[in-house]
Order: sequence, then structure tokens, then C-alpha cells
Amino acid sequence: MSLSKFFSSINSRLKGKSKFKLSLYLIAILIIAIFLIFFPKLVTTPYFIHIFVLAGMYIVLSLSYDLVVGHVGSLSLAHPAFFGIGAYAGALLAIKLGVPMGITLLAGAIMGAVLAILIGIPSFRLGGHSFAIGTLGFALAVEIIVRNWVKVTRGPMGIPGIPKPVLRFIGFFEWRLENLGDFYYLMLILVILTIVLYKLVDTSRVGRAFRAIREDEILASANAINPLANKMLAFTIGASIAGVAGVFYAYWFSLVSPEIFGMALTTTLLIIVFVGGRTSLRGIIVAALLVTVIPEFLRITPELRLVLYGLILLLTILFFPEGLEGIFQRVEKRK
Amino acid sequence: MNILIEQILNGLILGSQYALVATGLALIFGVVGIVNFAHGEFFMVGAYIFYLFYRNDTLGAYFLAVTAAIVVMYLLGRAYERIVINRIIDRSWHSQLVATLATSIILINLAILIFGTTPKVTPTVLSKTVVSLGFINISYQRICIFLVTGLVFILLNLFLQKTKLGKAMRAISQNRDASEIYGVDIRKVSEVTIGIGAGLAALAAGFMSPLFNILPTMGLLLVLKAFAAVIMGGFGNVKGAIYAAYLIGIIEALAIGYSHHIYIESAYKDVFVYGIMILVLLLRPQGLFGKKVGI
Repeated sequence: MSLSKFFSSINSRLKGKSKFKLSLYLIAILIIAIFLIFFPKLVTTPYFIHIFVLAGMYIVLSLSYDLVVGHVGSLSLAHPAFFGIGAYAGALLAIKLGVPMGITLLAGAIMGAVLAILIGIPSFRLGGHSFAIGTLGFALAVEIIVRNWVKVTRGPMGIPGIPKPVLRFIGFFEWRLENLGDFYYLMLILVILTIVLYKLVDTSRVGRAFRAIREDEILASANAINPLANKMLAFTIGASIAGVAGVFYAYWFSLVSPEIFGMALTTTLLIIVFVGGRTSLRGIIVAALLVTVIPEFLRITPELRLVLYGLILLLTILFFPEGLEGIFQRVEKRK
Repeated sequence: MNILIEQILNGLILGSQYALVATGLALIFGVVGIVNFAHGEFFMVGAYIFYLFYRNDTLGAYFLAVTAAIVVMYLLGRAYERIVINRIIDRSWHSQLVATLATSIILINLAILIFGTTPKVTPTVLSKTVVSLGFINISYQRICIFLVTGLVFILLNLFLQKTKLGKAMRAISQNRDASEIYGVDIRKVSEVTIGIGAGLAALAAGFMSPLFNILPTMGLLLVLKAFAAVIMGGFGNVKGAIYAAYLIGIIEALAIGYSHHIYIESAYKDVFVYGIMILVLLLRPQGLFGKKVGI
């Protein structure tokens, strides 16, 4: 049902354009697709592939974050906790129990969702600022526990030596993820799945309910939309995507440590979502690419990078509250 | 028994620190209507300014450095209002929160760039001299913190009750539109309020720094506890925030002293504090004291 709506929404968007423009559009998509598929074969430096995998991870994380921040308008600061719990769950399952990757990815999603429910139930009783502070409190509590529960998590030392994964498709074939290129393709699949899921939520009844809540909670509940249930849904979906991204990260880096719970991730995600423009798929993707690719080429220290990020975030909020999406729309209007 | 008294004393001192920071937060929220996520960084920047001005360990130099930190932070707070807060005051709370968070990110990482991540220590004559109270030993610095904080709260109360500016602040927190009609210059009062909030954070920094290390990231944990105090006291309720801050300080100190009795390491002390904050939010979302006591 919602899938057919999704395609019809694409159709209606394409209908408005002339045949020439339509073919231009399709050619552009084709070129991007070919480029993305052959990218690891074209470049010789693994470093560039690495940056693209990183960018993909940020696209997945910021789209999942935007489901909460942009769509229902609840400013959660607990997103690193979901990512981190996914990474630790994946690492521990893979090392201690030898669980195959398909199941660890699922476990990451479940862990993220369970933690989201545990954090969400008390936190959503709080409105506005208090919600942000409550979720930050939870996120720090999770970090403290991971840092100090040495028996399980090895504390600040982290968990090294996560084995290279094998993805088994029942009855079909085995995919050993050995080099960076394999991780690149897995990330590409995750990004596409996340975009499809994001679009599905965005264009469905659920997505409209989310935005109704963001605009006016009382009016939404007067129209038979349950704000709490919908907010919990957005929070849980976002958290399980972040959990999956965490599992991917664990395999990719083959090391997890408590640092991944830090505020740096929240900062980056806030910048991507606000600079890109909330609820804007294209804005967020472009912003995620900018935020990951540009600093890697400028080769600046992480601290200076965070200072610049903070400045960009502040200037965006002060002067371009619509973000990149606002700029896109202005360009489109001029045409 | 001695452990109990010692931990309660420690708790009161921790509580003084939280109370000074939380008062600024609650004042700013009450008067300006902003939740200032950068408030912990006011404390941190205040500590570094204190460190820069503190040259030798005489008593005179110490108080001079504390005063300098307060004055500089007061001015920086006013500048912050002009540059950032003033532009976002009419926006949604999302924009306000993200703008103050962005300021906090900039300040933390600037501090790392300038001072590095090695902790700075500033022992004073007061922190090195210990007095015996019969059953426990306590440094003058700790006694000093406790007394100064009490004095500051008495002065702040007098300021809010008696002076014209203090009355204007209370009027704005009660009814913004009405006070504007009666000719209160909201912009100017907001600016001074943020200055005072920043000054209080610097005062706390000046008195706490000799006991602890100065670190770029120290504001983050502190501001969360101050937020916990503000939430528990009822948003915008300054007196409630002060009581709650002392309560949090004592809970934390008791968690340090007694958590090993229930087989939990003291590293989990902050989990206790956040846990109690969440419990209060669940059971009494309007705060422990409600809105009855204003600023």
C-alpha cells in the first residue's frame, strides 16, 4: 500500500517535468549509479573509498536522526547511545559467540529499539528543552556504564579484533567482506535501504502524522493522532537504524571503544541535519557529503574541525534557518 | 558516622558549585526565556580566565584573579547576548537550543586548541591549609566556598528584591508583555541577566578550580547536573534550583561514600544523579517545589 504510494509520489513529481527534463533526470541518476557501482574499481587509493564509506555512514545516521529531530520535532541528544549500543552488541556477539553478520545486524536494530523504548518512555513525558536534557542524561549514563563495566566491555580499552564478517544468503551464496571495497558495497546497500525507508516514512500517513505533531501537538491529537505513540515510533525507528549503523561500524573498524558515545557524533549529526535542512532528503545527503569529504581534504586537526563545525552550525541557525534545502528551493524557483 | 558527616560536607560543597551554575541558568531561563546550553562553558572559560590571571599563590593574587574572571565573564556574557541570543530570541526553541549548543561546541574546542587537554592545576594558600574540626579535617578553600556561596545568595536576593534592575527582572519573569507596556527595557535587562549568570558561573569556577583540575570538557558534566537542579527545582524557579542543587550535591557525595556497600563502584555516581533527576521528572514533572516560589 505505502509502497505503491511511494512510487506514485515519484511519478507525480516526474509528471510536472517536460520529456527533455525527464530524460536528463534519468541520465543523471544513471550516471550517478554507474559511478557509485564502479567507484572502488576506479580509484586506486583506499583512502578515498574509506571517506565514501564514512560519508555513507553519516548519511544513514543523519537520516535516522532526522526522523526524530526533523519529523516529530523532538530534539533528542541520545543518538550516539543507539549507535554505540549497536556497535558493542555487534562486537560482543561476533567475538564471544561467533554470531554471523546477518544476525548481528538484526541484533543491532533490536538493541537500538529496546534502548529507545527504555529511554523514550520516561523522556517523552518531558516537553521541549527538558526532553533534550533528559535524553542527554540517559546518553551520558549509558556511556558511564560502558566505560566502567570492565568485565563485559573492557572499559576504556575497548574491544579489538572483531573478525571480518561473512554474509550468508540462505541457499544462495556467501559474501566474505574482506577488503574495503566489500564494506563500501555493503554501506551502499545500507544507504539505499535507509533512503527507501526514509522516503516510505516520509510520504506515508505515518510521516504526515509526524509532521502534524511537529507543527501543533494539540491540533494533531484533536485529529485522532496519538502524539506519544507516533513520537515513540519515530524515536524507535531512528534508533534501530542507528543500531544497524553501529554494527556495521564495529566490523568496519574492527575496534569499538567508549569514545564513540561522545558528544562529537551528536554535534556532527546536528550540523548535517540543520545545515542540510530538516526533513529534506537531498539537503541532508549533500550536507553529509560536505561534512565528511571537505575536512578530509583540508587535513585539519579534529579540534579545529569541531570549532569550524560549531561556527557553521551557529551561522546556519542565525542566518540560514532553512539550510541547504532553502537554497535549493530558491534555485528551483528562479528556473 | 565520620564518613557520613564528611560526605555530607563534601556534598554541600559540590552543591554550592552546582547551585551557582544552576542559579545563572534559572535566572536566564526566567528572564530571557532561553535554555542556555553554553552555560557549562561559561564555567569552563571562567576557570581558564582565572588560571591566566592567577600568577602567584598569595591570597591577594588569588582574589584578584577571581575578580578578574568574574568581570571578564560578565562582559563576555553581555557580548554573547548581543551576538547570539538577541538574534534567536523570537525563533522556535529548536533554533535556540541548537544555537546555544553550537556556542558550547565552539568554546570547548577553542579551549582544547588554546590550552590543550592536559589538566591545569591552581592550588592556593587556602586549598593547601587544612583546619581540624575535631572529627574531620577540612581545607579553608572548602569552608570559603560554602560561606561565599551563602553570601552571594543573600546579596542576589537583596538585589532582586530591592534594586530597580532586580525588580525589572522579576517583573519580566512574571509577565513579559505587561512589563514591556510599563516601560521595562527588556533587551537591556536580558543582556545584564546573561552577564550576571555568566559572572556567577565564573565565581563558581574561581572557587572550585583550586580543588579540581581545569579541563576543556569539564563544563559538560557540570551543566547537566545544573540542568538536573533546574528541572528538579521547577524551570525558572531560582530558589527551587538552589535547594535542588544542594540535594544533588549531597546525593552525589553519598553515592561516592556508600555505593561500595551495595557493590557498585563510585564511578557510577553520576548515574545515581541522573536516575534521581529522571525519577523526579516522572513523579513530579512540575519540579519538587512547583511554580509557587518565583525568582
